[in-house]
Amino acid sequence: MNPKWAEENLKTIRTLMERSAIYRRALAPIMFVCGISGLAGGVAGWQWQLNSNLDFVLVWVVTAIFALSCSTLLVRQQALRESEPFWSPPTRRVAQALMPSFSIGVIMAGVFARWGDADSTQELLILIWCLSFGCGIHATGFFVPRGMRWFGWLFVLAGCTLIAFLNTDIDLLRTFHSPHLLMAAIFGGLHLAYGIYLYFTEKKNPVA
Amino acid sequence: MNPELFLQLDRVIHEKGRLAIMSALAGTPELSFTELRDTLDMTDGNLTTHIRILQEEGFISVAKSYQNNRSLTTCSLTKAGRKAFTGYIDLLEQIVRQNKL
Repeated sequence: MNPKWAEENLKTIRTLMERSAIYRRALAPIMFVCGISGLAGGVAGWQWQLNSNLDFVLVWVVTAIFALSCSTLLVRQQALRESEPFWSPPTRRVAQALMPSFSIGVIMAGVFARWGDADSTQELLILIWCLSFGCGIHATGFFVPRGMRWFGWLFVLAGCTLIAFLNTDIDLLRTFHSPHLLMAAIFGGLHLAYGIYLYFTEKKNPVA
Repeated sequence: MNPELFLQLDRVIHEKGRLAIMSALAGTPELSFTELRDTLDMTDGNLTTHIRILQEEGFISVAKSYQNNRSLTTCSLTKAGRKAFTGYIDLLEQIVRQNKL
């Protein structure tokens, strides 16, 4: 018998155990918070006429930080309620999956805020955010149940739709009155819609 | 090498497919049939057969329920299953240690 056999078996067992640990925190409240934050950020940016590239980026970075902070608190609350560690292996894997795509979004925001001066800068930034966010969410789908990958695809689809509109005479920003409202519709609207779907379908008493 | 350790390995768990099922279930409180099938890349028939054997052995429990008007089969390790799995891992570790000597 191959002496390495037992060691290899242990490695396989460990891999399988890690792969099967699915992130199961209740996502509906998180989606609601992100959706409402997105809608509020959009309306605030539009009402206060924060239309320069720098203002646009700042509004959405602040909105994203707020939504992320609230989501983290909700996850922590759920972990405390279940007497489980907050930074559990599934939570860590979800964070790791999100990181590369989110980093692209943040870097591009910095680049556009500093050097973007073309008319379509904000539209370009929205589509980059849609694509990077969609890819990040899709990546988490390998560790999260309940259609997270489809949710990611919706953002990718939204980004592709914006690309398609860039090549037409239709001015999407004018249609939506403000880039903030376009952001609110895509990010706020999609999160809220997914939150409602999860609210009615998510299993109660989830575990990490 | 001490062959005694090999002989002590649980024959039910030792089969490749069943060991994979037990490993997957050991990493999470429960998994649906679909999640298990997708994680382990097994066919429905193969998975059903192994689940039945493990269930008969008292290593896993199978619960059937309805979610969104669809039947949902979920599997989880029983106390006896977890104990047997832990024992199996302990034996494997002993074998590894023995090989390193």
